[in-house]
Amino acid sequence: MNKRLLDRSALLALTLAATTALPAFADKASGTLNVAFTKELENVDSYFNSSREGVVLQRAVWDGLIYRDPETNEYVGNLAESWEWVDDTTLEFKLREGVTFHNGEAFNADDVVYTVNFVAKEENGVKTQRNVNWMDSAEKVDDYTVRIKLKQKFPAAIEFLSGPVSMYPNEYYAEAGPSGMGLKPVGTGPYKVVDVVPGQHFVLEANENYHDSPKGQPEIEKIDIRTIPDVNTQMAELFSGSLDLIWQVPADQAEKLGEMGQFTVANESTMRVGYLQMDSAGRSGDTPFTDPLVRKAVNYAINRQELVDALLQGSSKVVYTPCFPSQFGCIQDVTEYEYDPEKAKELLAEAGYPDGFSTEFYAYRDRQYAEAIASYLNAVGIDTDFKMLQYSALRELNMDGEVPLSFQTWGSYSINDASAMVSQFFKHGSLDSTRDEEVLEWLNVADSSTDPDERIEYYTKAIQKIAEEAYWAPMFTYNTNYVFSQDVSYTPTADEVLRFVDMSWN
Amino acid sequence: MTDATDPLSREIEGPSPRQMLRARALKHKALIFGMTVVLLLVLVALFAPLLAPHDPYAQSLMNRMVKPVFMGGTWEHPLGTDHLGRDYLSRLIYGARVSLLIGAVAALISGVIGTAMGVAAGYFGGKVDAVVTFLINVRLAMPVVLVALAVVAILGGSLTVVICVLGLLLWDRFAVVMRASTLQVRRRDYVAAAQVIGASTPRIVLTEIMPNIFNNLIVVVTLEMAHAILLEAALSFLGLGVQPPTPSWGLMVSEGKNMMLFEPWLVLIPGAVLFVLVLAINLMGDGLRDVTAPEGRS
Repeated sequence: MNKRLLDRSALLALTLAATTALPAFADKASGTLNVAFTKELENVDSYFNSSREGVVLQRAVWDGLIYRDPETNEYVGNLAESWEWVDDTTLEFKLREGVTFHNGEAFNADDVVYTVNFVAKEENGVKTQRNVNWMDSAEKVDDYTVRIKLKQKFPAAIEFLSGPVSMYPNEYYAEAGPSGMGLKPVGTGPYKVVDVVPGQHFVLEANENYHDSPKGQPEIEKIDIRTIPDVNTQMAELFSGSLDLIWQVPADQAEKLGEMGQFTVANESTMRVGYLQMDSAGRSGDTPFTDPLVRKAVNYAINRQELVDALLQGSSKVVYTPCFPSQFGCIQDVTEYEYDPEKAKELLAEAGYPDGFSTEFYAYRDRQYAEAIASYLNAVGIDTDFKMLQYSALRELNMDGEVPLSFQTWGSYSINDASAMVSQFFKHGSLDSTRDEEVLEWLNVADSSTDPDERIEYYTKAIQKIAEEAYWAPMFTYNTNYVFSQDVSYTPTADEVLRFVDMSWN
Repeated sequence: MTDATDPLSREIEGPSPRQMLRARALKHKALIFGMTVVLLLVLVALFAPLLAPHDPYAQSLMNRMVKPVFMGGTWEHPLGTDHLGRDYLSRLIYGARVSLLIGAVAALISGVIGTAMGVAAGYFGGKVDAVVTFLINVRLAMPVVLVALAVVAILGGSLTVVICVLGLLLWDRFAVVMRASTLQVRRRDYVAAAQVIGASTPRIVLTEIMPNIFNNLIVVVTLEMAHAILLEAALSFLGLGVQPPTPSWGLMVSEGKNMMLFEPWLVLIPGAVLFVLVLAINLMGDGLRDVTAPEGRS
């Protein structure tokens, strides 16, 4: 009996712990900025993790050859001073001279050659192959000139070189390898890593010898990043002053924090789109979703505007396309399914389900949104057997074609091109629940063409058919909230990357 | 045998055992409190559709997290609304059904299993006893919460799965107590007498043994019921128990957890109700034991 009472009091203790003020460790005076990460990184080496937190560290610790200004989207040289296409599959870079890595090693063509050849090799197991598998190899022309060879024509090469492909020190990396790099990271970036305690915290210090990079010079001397999975704990520490900045804060909490008037709450959109995937190809067996009337009914049943206004809030928008509106090729001139539950019921009746039907409904994140969506479906007679799974488990089920209906999201790796989403899911891959031949043909033309007008034309055809046939029920775009103390000055960007180098004390 | 000092004839003059039991029960305040609360909640669960002011599933995203009336809300939603704008009081009322159903059915299943094993072990002894004792030890070596989590994670969470898992896991106390009680009872003279007149084993077990160990059984039932209710809440809190939108108190605590710093009542209300129910069932069990075993044997 005592043990049972203990379980109950654990909850009470949690409440108390969350509301009791903790001692303040740091603030503007000490020069240390305290930041929380929600997730733990599997490896700090940016080629061997696939999380948002990893991208944040990558941008702080390492540099790429090229830099894309997040405001103007213009490409400028970073570790490279200039570049040109020698032919369709060869890029030549003139490198910046006088740059040194955090350990004192000088940066030159050997580093680029080693890094590119290492990551492009599939056996080396870079986590997100898509980021590097378009490169074939690199060769040194002289100490500060290098050529990167592509496997085939790849118009997005510059975008990738300014994003996930960063340069590593050849001598150090050859010796330390990904695991050594993960524990003692060495780069050329604005911040150097002085301490890595996996699962606890990372300590970054401003790189005083940072080269004249378009990223700008670091202003905050020291950054202490701690892994705190629970958002309530993060907020409690923010109140007590032992954290200065938290991000990815859910909308409800961000609103309340904003009302308190002690913190700056900044909201920015992200490229992530939330949608319902329906098994229109009938891969999961005999399912009602093979009938277009049922799929349209599902589309009419969802009150997208209410979801955006009440749950997602911030800069989220309603979408009807299977891609993010700013992406190249993601035309918005498609069939729009306004919320109309009566029409949904009529369509279900017409399809032969006057009393509705019952289906499994899967989700992997944002339980609250999923529950709200399920409730809309229940209201028109579609009974849902709700199942919340881990992302990897749902992905596997989905690949096996065993998912009749699921709430999915896709962030397109922040790549501003419709191919990153539409082509990902409608080209008969293992995650394609539609398998429309015509859409496949059109997307093949659109993806490989170098003529922008032709690309637009074929994306339009494909996207319009997807909307007309209601293969999916696209619903909304996501946003993210950054909350920080008023000592901190920072303007977040729309690409969901936290940039320490842009932060300063007020 | 008509001597005035005969114990039997003296007892006839006093109150009957049943009357004494009732008198003791009425004087036991904790038992009265526990029984009243449990009875009240059973009635609430039975008449949920009549009592609930709203449909517990009706979502209204424009009315999310309305405060309860004692915190400045309106009587439209006396206990406020949850994160999807569903009436909190109605969900609480329907949640009582889930909790009591799981508690009762899980206790019933484990009671049947545990009693059968315990009585068999106690009555037959020997090899049967050795096997049952071994099974009890095996069961006691398994951490209940971990096993329940693992099984529910594999089979997927639903009301039926949770009831079955808990029912199949919580029989150990029944088996232990029933075995010990049967051992005591089977050496009594009336059991020997029944054996001598040639009564069959099922008859002896059902008419001579069971009625005399029934008091102990009732006490264990209440304890295990409370145990099952708490485990269901824990599983639902972890997202592995009853699945949304079914209202369950553990699930309500879990859903309110994220807003705990700003809207603590979202967690406190279902938490408090759960606390009161489990306390009441435990008080009832303790009270029953005190009343039925006044000499302190149990």
